Amino acid sequence: MTNTIELTVNGVPYPVSIATDRNLSGVLRNEIGLTGTKEGCDDCECGACMVLLDGQPVNACSYLAVQAQGREITTVEGLASGEDMHPLQRNILATGGVQCGFCTPGMLMSAHALLERSPDPTLEEIKIGLSGNLCRCTGYARILDAVEATAVEINS
Amino acid sequence: MTFTIANTLADVLVALAAGARPIAGGTDLVVGARQGKDSLPETLIAIDRVGELRTIEAADDHTRIGSGVTHSMLVSDPLIVEQFTAIADAAALVGSPATRNVGTIGGNVMNGSPAMDTGAPLVVLGAEAELSTTAGSRRVSLDELWVSPGRTSAQTDELCTALVLPNPPDGAGSAYVRLEYRRAMEIAVVGAAAAVTLDGDVITAVRIALTAVAPTILELADLSGLSGRAVDESFFAAVASAASEQAAPISDLRASDRYRRHTIGVMARRATEAAVRRAQGEVIDVPVNRALGVGAAS
Amino acid sequence: MAITDLPEFIRADGPDKVTGSGRYTADMTLTGQLVAKFKYAEVSHARITNLDVSAARAIPGVFAVLTADDVPDLRYTPVIADRTLFARDVVRFEGEVVAAVAAISAAIAEQAIDAIVFEYEALPIVTDLEAAVADGSTLVHPDLDSYVITGDTPHEGNVATHSSIEMGDAEAAMASADVVISSRYVADASHAAPIEPRAIIAQWEGDKVTIWTSTQVPYDARDGVCETLQLPSNKVRIIVPHLGGGFGGKCGFHFEAHIAALAKAAKRPVKLVFSRWEEFVAPDRRREGMIIDVTTGVMHDGTIVARTGALLLDNGAYSADATFFPQAAAMHVAGPYKIPNIKIDSRLVYTNHQPSGSVRAPTAPQGCWAVESHTDEVAAAISMDPLDFRRKNIVHTGAIGPVGQTYDEIGLDQCLELATKSAGWGNELPDGEALGIAVGWWPSFAASAGAFAKMHGDGKVQLITGANECGTGSVMTLRMIAADELGLDQTDIELVYQDTAAAPVGPGATGSQTLLNHGRAVETASRQIADQLKELAAVHLEANADDIVLSGGMASVAGTPTVSVPIVELAAEAAEGDLLLGSASAPVHDSPELFGSTCLGDQDFASWLAPQFSCHVARVRVDKDTGVARVLQVHTAHDSGTIINPVAAHGQIEGGVLMGIGQALTEGTQYGEDGRQQNAGLLEYKLQTIADAPSIHTQFVEIFTPNAGPKGAKGLAEAPNVATAGAISNAVARATGVRVRQMPMTAERVWDALTTSAREDDS
Repeated sequence: MTNTIELTVNGVPYPVSIATDRNLSGVLRNEIGLTGTKEGCDDCECGACMVLLDGQPVNACSYLAVQAQGREITTVEGLASGEDMHPLQRNILATGGVQCGFCTPGMLMSAHALLERSPDPTLEEIKIGLSGNLCRCTGYARILDAVEATAVEINS
Repeated sequence: MTFTIANTLADVLVALAAGARPIAGGTDLVVGARQGKDSLPETLIAIDRVGELRTIEAADDHTRIGSGVTHSMLVSDPLIVEQFTAIADAAALVGSPATRNVGTIGGNVMNGSPAMDTGAPLVVLGAEAELSTTAGSRRVSLDELWVSPGRTSAQTDELCTALVLPNPPDGAGSAYVRLEYRRAMEIAVVGAAAAVTLDGDVITAVRIALTAVAPTILELADLSGLSGRAVDESFFAAVASAASEQAAPISDLRASDRYRRHTIGVMARRATEAAVRRAQGEVIDVPVNRALGVGAAS
Repeated sequence: MAITDLPEFIRADGPDKVTGSGRYTADMTLTGQLVAKFKYAEVSHARITNLDVSAARAIPGVFAVLTADDVPDLRYTPVIADRTLFARDVVRFEGEVVAAVAAISAAIAEQAIDAIVFEYEALPIVTDLEAAVADGSTLVHPDLDSYVITGDTPHEGNVATHSSIEMGDAEAAMASADVVISSRYVADASHAAPIEPRAIIAQWEGDKVTIWTSTQVPYDARDGVCETLQLPSNKVRIIVPHLGGGFGGKCGFHFEAHIAALAKAAKRPVKLVFSRWEEFVAPDRRREGMIIDVTTGVMHDGTIVARTGALLLDNGAYSADATFFPQAAAMHVAGPYKIPNIKIDSRLVYTNHQPSGSVRAPTAPQGCWAVESHTDEVAAAISMDPLDFRRKNIVHTGAIGPVGQTYDEIGLDQCLELATKSAGWGNELPDGEALGIAVGWWPSFAASAGAFAKMHGDGKVQLITGANECGTGSVMTLRMIAADELGLDQTDIELVYQDTAAAPVGPGATGSQTLLNHGRAVETASRQIADQLKELAAVHLEANADDIVLSGGMASVAGTPTVSVPIVELAAEAAEGDLLLGSASAPVHDSPELFGSTCLGDQDFASWLAPQFSCHVARVRVDKDTGVARVLQVHTAHDSGTIINPVAAHGQIEGGVLMGIGQALTEGTQYGEDGRQQNAGLLEYKLQTIADAPSIHTQFVEIFTPNAGPKGAKGLAEAPNVATAGAISNAVARATGVRVRQMPMTAERVWDALTTSAREDDS
């Protein structure tokens, strides 16, 4: 059955007509046209599809789109303020934490949620906060550097 | 297929009576449907916004954890961390931060998987499941509830509304540990929860339950011999051998039965050691796995 | 040139990747595109008795259903032509494509797949390497002799290629050794597992097809399409959008022809996106399982006098590019050691598993893990410290290696000293912890690669390169090279890449070749423009062109920076006259000569151009009650020649180390008795998470290496993946006192080794 619902993504309301069984990542990528949210598996095991629902990281691949009605959805496209990149985006580029980039959007969303919750995290907190996001390229070292640098930046 | 978002418990129970199926975080349901295990039910009612299900309430003699309480909420709730620490240990290990935000304790319990991390802690802490319909509520022990892997004794119109736990006495402590091959995104290969009560150096009560070594969560039987004993090496050794002996593990791609039987003893011992230390007043951070480096962690 | 002379690395594709605006193949949509799905064999070995797609074709919304009958009847692959696009008569592994469907939706495509009648008679399966080479084994390819096979590729029965390396008289030398140690090591298969599952879109315009695909090697993909669909090379255009990692898994030619054929039959664009399960089982790129028997003869003073070995490598059902693997593996089991007498025999064996193919440093992690574990066993047998034993035996500048290659200036001895010092070799550690050392090596590969460069009237530059950016940053680094030649800022240089219609040919992102080969082509093409600019400036400044330097956007007279003219002015002038264009092809270096060795079935993998060396030292803690090992620190030192881009270079080491930890401890394909993969998903096939990541400490031994890449650089993407597992193995052994002889060295295997050893102690 098709439901006509409204999803609020990065502050913008989108009316969409979708079947009940559609997952949120698919609707974001197709109906809404925001392909920054990636799909690397289909069972919460890679984290490439990570978005924020009311500020909390959620695997969009395994979340029904209809269930996101009435919640604030934030994707990687909503991280920058206009032309100004979010400090996490700037820092992950500066440290070399981006290689193929496929895990990057999900990684940034987890990192963003972590810093909102815990602006001055320990290294272990960062590791646990990002532990749902697999990266095959970087060995994670420079991603950790980027999150630490951002914490320093936002606390100064 | 219809989908409704409920705001009150009453709405949920009416919908279930009419044949709807509840969806909380939905992770298992959505993943299962996509992987072709089961198609999504015809009528779904989302229960994740029902405030009545998302509270943790303490009464004089018991604590009630709403079924819609997420793993993240459990880990950050001071009452759970202080009084029902094993549950917090387990909740902190489930999946990843994202799955902990979405997954609920009620969803876990009603899934009936023998590998669920929160199951063994609930058992050793004496939890009962509160099942509700439009006609009223009943409480069942978890032993009665879990029938076989993925199956419960609940009726289709019954919603698990809460887990109800007796408040632990003074001198009690609990812990959950599991074997993990990597430090995150894991599923329990084996796990063990222990709840102990101490009077000085003497064990006055001990309950131990095991994860992923039987068709359902397995509580160790015949531990009465361990009560009244002093906390010493022979006590922990007895716990380990009881766990290894009573476990009925299978071999699968995660581990052989032989390895599971050995490591369940190690986990039971470590859980009990941590529970004893907590009962003695020591603060061991949640989860024990990361605080103490179980499985060479940290 | 010193690295400090080069600008900071600015990743040109970075903003696209961090803001979500960058499009990967799966992010693209063409109007009218159909969804492709494959029908897989899902059985390891069977004779097809009935394949009927008529019901599938009749479903409304299904636009094409293809089988072997619908494409040219030919066998392909680079060396042994043993493969067809679609299964014909026999299926030989679970991921073999039986049929392909294009339909208007995923649901209808699935329905069509289910409607395909696929009946078969099961055949005995071949999965055990030793049984496969025994007399009387079931043959995976009974008609192997009738296939087209190029080159010196001895084959027989289930042996696809038989190679060796041989020098001196190993048997006689072994007999004269003071101590002889033999070891057997077994490595399970593993996977590249890039986070992006592959995707392909094909669209025809007349007799030309454009294919957007997540490949690492666009020209190989193009050539594969041309070969299998019988098309001329100028009618097939491959475009690679952003690529979400490869690690070898997206090398070679895979499914582009299937999708092009579907699009042609359906008369619509067609799009394929793999699920994670497909990404595990279907590609002909998997890291090969191996059985390694190695014997070393050593004198009491620590001198290695002889080594022999016998290796069996799991080829899987088809050969892909694995025919060079036996010789590559033999070189790793020889190791970077001075061994005067050696004989290593190596066979690539057909089985009913997924085909093996180049995954990041193919054969090296397994070979290095085995030989470095063995090396510690040999050192222990003569009571020598593993560091001292390596000091005595590793190759150094001017030394002769195991196949008679004499090395120019190399830095392995420095790598060994730096990494062990960094790790604190010899310091006391807590109980359950230990350090382990491994040294490794890997060749550089020279290949044809071209580049075009053009400077526009506004002084801006386009570099058109056949290089492929799989994430490493090596294509992005090409801007640094051009900017350096032209005296411009990197941001003045725009890359045009990953489009076979635009750029000259190149090897793509394979064999750590991007900087080495494309870098040289870009350097030369840019220099051609620089020379033209200097000629123009010479007229303006009334100086000799040889005295002009380009820097900071200005052309000036050497030593007199005030006498200058802006490059942009010269560019504007040229735009009205002789255009500023460069085009170059990197010369293919000759391989070094070998003296005194004889190699059977030579696959050009014994002589190593500009070899890269490394030493990794791992600090590991083992929980002896459970066997769980955890890597706490890894200290590395690498000789990859000059380091042009330190940020990217460190990134390669760190990523390679973590992949190595996964291979060492948690990543291994588990096969069922039916020969099928049981852990084809990211929950049960366990990549390392950020919570597992150790601290990684890297030092580079920078030696300008002639006959290598630009500015004396060697390759770097694969080398970091070679030695980590060996270092971990030795650390585990030192922490526990027992040796784990199967990789991955899972917790259960470590525990098994501990309990076996305890039982032996009791008895």
